[in-house]
Amino acid sequence: MGSYIIRRLLQAIPLMFMISIILFMLVQNIGDPVATMGGRDSVRAADRERLRRQLGLDQPVYLQYVYWLAGNDWAKVDIDGDGIQETPGKRKGILRGDFGTSIIERGVPVLDLIWKRVPNTLLLMIPAQIVVMVVGVSIGIFSALKQYSLLENTFTAFSFIGLSMPIFFIALLLIYFFSVLLHRWGLPHLPSMGMFEPQIGKTTEQIFLHMIMPVTSIAFVSIATYSRYTRSSLLNIMQQDYIRTARAKGLDNHYVLLVHALKNAALPIVTIMGIDLPLLLAGGVVTERIFGWPGMGRLFLDHLQAADGPVVMGIVILVAGTVVIFQILTDLAYAALDPRIRLE
Amino acid sequence: MKKNLFSFCLFLLLTSLVLSACGGAAAPVSTEAAVPTEKAAPAPVTAPTDKPAATEAPASTEKKVATFVYTQELDNMNPMYTSNWYSRITQQIWNCDPWMYDDTNSPVPVLITEMPNLENGGISADGKTITLKLRKDIVWSDGEPITADDFVFTWEMYTNTANTVNSSYPYNLIKKIEAVDAATVKMSFDEPFIPWEASLGQEIIPAHILRPVFEKDGNLDQAAWNRAPTVGCGPYNFKEWETGSFVHFVRNEKYFNPAPKIDEIYIRFVADDAAQTAALLSGDADLGAMVSYPDIPNLEAANVKIVPVVSGYNEGWYFYFGEGNLAIKDVKVRQALALCFDRFSLVQDLLLGKTVVDTSFWQNTVWQDPDLKAWPFDPEKGKTLLEEAGWVDSNGDGIRTKDGVELILTHGATAAKVRMDTQAIAQEQLAKCGIKLETKNYAPPVFYSTYGDKAPCSTGELDICQSSRASSFPDPNTSLFLTSEIPTDQFPGGLNISRLSDPKLDELFKRQASEIDQNKRIEIFHEISRYMTENVYWLGMWNDPDLWGYNARLSGVKFSGGAPFFNVSEWDIK
Repeated sequence: MGSYIIRRLLQAIPLMFMISIILFMLVQNIGDPVATMGGRDSVRAADRERLRRQLGLDQPVYLQYVYWLAGNDWAKVDIDGDGIQETPGKRKGILRGDFGTSIIERGVPVLDLIWKRVPNTLLLMIPAQIVVMVVGVSIGIFSALKQYSLLENTFTAFSFIGLSMPIFFIALLLIYFFSVLLHRWGLPHLPSMGMFEPQIGKTTEQIFLHMIMPVTSIAFVSIATYSRYTRSSLLNIMQQDYIRTARAKGLDNHYVLLVHALKNAALPIVTIMGIDLPLLLAGGVVTERIFGWPGMGRLFLDHLQAADGPVVMGIVILVAGTVVIFQILTDLAYAALDPRIRLE
Repeated sequence: MKKNLFSFCLFLLLTSLVLSACGGAAAPVSTEAAVPTEKAAPAPVTAPTDKPAATEAPASTEKKVATFVYTQELDNMNPMYTSNWYSRITQQIWNCDPWMYDDTNSPVPVLITEMPNLENGGISADGKTITLKLRKDIVWSDGEPITADDFVFTWEMYTNTANTVNSSYPYNLIKKIEAVDAATVKMSFDEPFIPWEASLGQEIIPAHILRPVFEKDGNLDQAAWNRAPTVGCGPYNFKEWETGSFVHFVRNEKYFNPAPKIDEIYIRFVADDAAQTAALLSGDADLGAMVSYPDIPNLEAANVKIVPVVSGYNEGWYFYFGEGNLAIKDVKVRQALALCFDRFSLVQDLLLGKTVVDTSFWQNTVWQDPDLKAWPFDPEKGKTLLEEAGWVDSNGDGIRTKDGVELILTHGATAAKVRMDTQAIAQEQLAKCGIKLETKNYAPPVFYSTYGDKAPCSTGELDICQSSRASSFPDPNTSLFLTSEIPTDQFPGGLNISRLSDPKLDELFKRQASEIDQNKRIEIFHEISRYMTENVYWLGMWNDPDLWGYNARLSGVKFSGGAPFFNVSEWDIK
């Protein structure tokens, strides 16, 4: 297993390299970050030229990529616009852990921006994912065991409603009812934005209250995926001979389900989890935006809209790296669940 | 199993309802009709204002806390590093300007004793020297006096290329700045700097805090003060910035003007208009800016007062006069566009009558000829003009042609809903005059980029660009229509994306740029506004006010186009 892991990690290096090149090219086309630096006014030509020079945006794209990758402290740049490259660069490059600084939030290291938001995103996404998995798998098991019953049909219907609706619709609906209408009727209502009330502070109760609607939104649209996969996988497994044998031997139904059937039915669920878990880091862009949750998704969207390349690259590279690692972990989980799978 | 599952769902539902009972209830709102904003004031006035010494706020057992909501997070607290509108207006809460603008957009001295002018010697006879006399009682929030050295230091930092400032204007125009004494700042220019009043009144930065930082780091780009200004000079002090969530201000106990009545202000960040509206409706926020027009009826029904504030921005069509579609270069075609598009109904229907059609780029200011009228909606006259210009529908397909060329124009804008709606309406109405309008939409960083970046507005990809821009409000000066600002390969950042080149217009702008006499300058701009309107060099869609919405529990609220929070210290909570 050790050699397998090492081999996969080594394979990941050229993969990440290719991803970084493609992403860097894409980021060049999200717009000119200097274009909106004038705020509501146009940026003056002299300021534009100076800012592009100071921020290194006047360099050829390939050189910008090299500086992003390997830094520019080994080179000299022209900061004052006199045409002489006399000022040593200060960047170390991503290979040395320097993700650069934000263009829009001038001078703030990208990693600082990201690490401030990661806990907020995980705080929202992990409970949401737990709810999705627990409720989704539970409904899936129930659906498999009680096929075509009234309750099963009801759960299935709600699951598909959730799957079919865009998350922003669910989110706005929840806000409208639980925040706006309840307030209008003079009833206690849920907060419509943020992670906590600033006046009260970042308490557990506050965060929990503010999480209710965003977690519900995420869960409502995602439960169907897990429930349907679990249901179909279980139905397939329950037809197998060894399950019939286990029952014939007089084993308890719950034991058969949980020990024999579910373990084998879990492989597709592990596949989905292997994709979902790393994406937790990316946050729910739409959800965070609507609920004003200060997470990675919102950070990404805000800086993408401002064409802040270093921050966008930092977030995407981080998520890409996490996906690669989680794919390795997923493969390991397969091997653990199914002895027939060999890591070769 | 069935019973357990049902019980579980019931438990979840009940838990949600019980927990929502723990949520705060919003403060009650009272009914109060919205009051229209006063129009922008005429020429600036001088008003000596030695404010009385700071007084203690009345004792209160309960803190008065106001919550504002912004749809964009601040990017930087240092005025040098931001042009973000929200960051700039927030400066008025915790920082200070030499002067601000009141609700009539008249200048009001804050740090200085009086506005400089020719009579009091604050402006030299040749207009090349401006002298500011500072008040003796002004202090930073840590008690350090604000002196001329702070002004000099601010200029030094703006013009030092080690700092990646957003804009060095207008400091880069100052030839020499000196602290004559602790309370006198003297600025010298090579040429008379006519728009000084709108440009030089920017926030200052504390020399005693930031000079050591600059000397140590070589620049201020990563100064901790940029994200957490420990020292300011406004009615409030910065307390905390929880990134992505809120920024918190508390009363400045050392404020040199009357103490603010509200104890604390929270500014919370939401990502879009819908969230802002929900916050205002639910009472989670007391004030929001740039309210969306479609949300106004709901907000007003919930007793949120909507106040349009003139800030110099005008939504309009910028025509492309470069190589390309010859139709646009024909004044009769442009006049026909103005006549065939019912902008008046557009403003009533789309913008709920909350604003007016722009007559010129200087709508609602003293700089526009008061007798000037907007082009009316008269499609028959528009059709006549087109026929006079040789554009006729020769093949009956509804599109006019001339010399084998169809009258098809491409209109571009960002994807803002109000602009897309405008495009749709314009398409329909212009078609009735035989003009086919094709539309395109772009993301802002692409739309507002430059000729050098192949921006669609400056490369001929679009015949008409729609956007909202302002002059150096409250000053009328603008570079948008100057021949010298036409972008080229050697000058890719030029601002005249229309590529409009009219020697008469250039001459008029040149004259006003050196006219020290305010009344004569106003006359020149009257002529400019007439000339541009007659030739439809720019077609105004609507005057684009800042729409503010605030909860009726706030009182004493006034807004200014030049400085929205100019009287925030007088705001109170009922």
